[in-house]
Amino acid sequence: MLNSIMKTKLFAWVDQRTGADAIIKSQLTEYAVPKNLNYMWNFGSLALLVLVLQILTGIFLAMYYKPSAAFTSGGYTVAFDSVERIMRDVNFGWLIRYMHAVGASAFFFVVYMHIGRGLYYGSYKGPRELLWIIGVVILLIMQGAAFFGYLLPWGQMSFWGATVITNLFGALPVIGEYLQQVLRGGFAVGDPTLNRFFSLHYLFPLLLAAIVGGHVHALHVVHSNNPEGIDVHNAEEKINFHPYYTVKDAFGVGVFLLFYCYIVFFNPQMGGFFIEVDNYVPANNLQTPPHIAPVWYLTPWYTILRSFPDKLLGVVAMGASLGILFLLPFLDRSKVRSSRYRPIFRQMVVLFFVTVIILGYCGHSAPTPTLKLVGQIATAYYFAFFILLLFLPKFEKTKPLPDHI
Amino acid sequence: MSEQVDQSKRNMLFGAAGLLGGVAALAAAVPFVGSMLPAADTLAASKTEFDVGTVESGQLVVIQWQGKPVFVVNRTKELLAQIDGHDEMLKDPESREIEAVSAAWMTDENRKYRAIKPEYLVVVASCTHLGCIPMYKATKGRKDWGDSVPEDWPGGWHCPCHGSLYDISARVINDSPAPHNLHLMPYKYTGETSVVIG
Repeated sequence: MLNSIMKTKLFAWVDQRTGADAIIKSQLTEYAVPKNLNYMWNFGSLALLVLVLQILTGIFLAMYYKPSAAFTSGGYTVAFDSVERIMRDVNFGWLIRYMHAVGASAFFFVVYMHIGRGLYYGSYKGPRELLWIIGVVILLIMQGAAFFGYLLPWGQMSFWGATVITNLFGALPVIGEYLQQVLRGGFAVGDPTLNRFFSLHYLFPLLLAAIVGGHVHALHVVHSNNPEGIDVHNAEEKINFHPYYTVKDAFGVGVFLLFYCYIVFFNPQMGGFFIEVDNYVPANNLQTPPHIAPVWYLTPWYTILRSFPDKLLGVVAMGASLGILFLLPFLDRSKVRSSRYRPIFRQMVVLFFVTVIILGYCGHSAPTPTLKLVGQIATAYYFAFFILLLFLPKFEKTKPLPDHI
Repeated sequence: MSEQVDQSKRNMLFGAAGLLGGVAALAAAVPFVGSMLPAADTLAASKTEFDVGTVESGQLVVIQWQGKPVFVVNRTKELLAQIDGHDEMLKDPESREIEAVSAAWMTDENRKYRAIKPEYLVVVASCTHLGCIPMYKATKGRKDWGDSVPEDWPGGWHCPCHGSLYDISARVINDSPAPHNLHLMPYKYTGETSVVIG
């Protein structure tokens, strides 16, 4: 199919002026990929798909959304009413908004699976350190975009979530108060905050698109890792990305869309996990809802924050829990990449995944003394995992690596 | 390997997958394009009620219908008299050229008035050239308007953008860039002077 297109005169004309032939060959039809990638390698392309879906649905939502906290005659606000108008009056507005809201959760699910795969199979190790670091930057920008976007409906969770998070920055010494005012554009979250968050919510995906380009470029320089975690040199151990992995990725897209569409059409709020119930109450700056928690994909870090009795320490720990991801390639010095050949690391990393889920559960639930202790233990292991990696090669007996895949 | 490939079967599968993918893409485009059409509350605002009795004799008011300007003129006997006698100056004196300038209630007698009740003219105020609102220059001749209107000006409207001229029944005058008379919109009387537009 692509071959016959590439033989046409029109393609030759384009190729002469863009070098399209060389690009397609080096990036797709002759881009060599290890032949043994399993389905965990589908999540990268799925993340790209969800990013495109989020940008597309976001553009259409922005045609109707109005970022203003001004009161309307109905007693609500312009922003809150414009979201309700999208849900009730705009043709297919409900569908596009649910696609966007569910898409946010889907994006994080897919990206967390992608990161987990990278951890388990050691994809962050040399020569892919920078590829991993670019990925962590993408994660941070995603979290920022999600946080900015969550303010926009101007419901109770929007308002108090933004209040809490902007207060975090206020905990920093010296610059804290200043930083907080820069974020809020006032002394409390209000109309100026809503306006700038809308602007930034539109900006961040553009940054994401650019950095994702860098992520893919960096990948295509160092090539994909594989479940065995060994370097592949022989031609017979590799297959071309197109058509073999484009077809496999397309199959993954089909499976993904099956789940995505089911949630969008039949359970878009996911019992309050994807769209929180309290956010259907208009923002009220004089009353905090009785239970306040971020959306599920931010709860692990929220638990780390509240595991510390000291405000500043909590904020620093939360920052460190994300910042330490940048250092991971340099903390883990083992020459062996894949967990398949690292018995102790394998147990540690699986426990790490469980820990993150526990942290997420604790952050989603109302704080109790028991959950607080569980959260503190989980937080301790979260950091211990990274520190232990430093010493692990000294006592871990790795299994012998195969010569080829 | 390659000699074992059944190329025609492969092409059939490519074609079938491409076709289904294309159908799915088109279906997915429906909600996105659909969302850009007027929303339900915009459509709900598509009727306007107005009491033409509030317009003084000889006065013109501009009201809104679907966000578009609408002229309502209370035409005096003198103004109604200005309608006759210049049919040769008009592109479409009987308002028959396109559907938008005509209406079901038009009879041979009231066709020239372009109004259900001759004294109240209700027309869309957008020049049929490029949509500006023409200026109301009701009196005959150049006495009040100088040379912005022709010497044999029958009274009517003059568009400031590109100089289109309309008579007092909003019929376009020859040599104007505008192709048609000002459009009519559906309206009906629900009382002596109360009108529902749309």
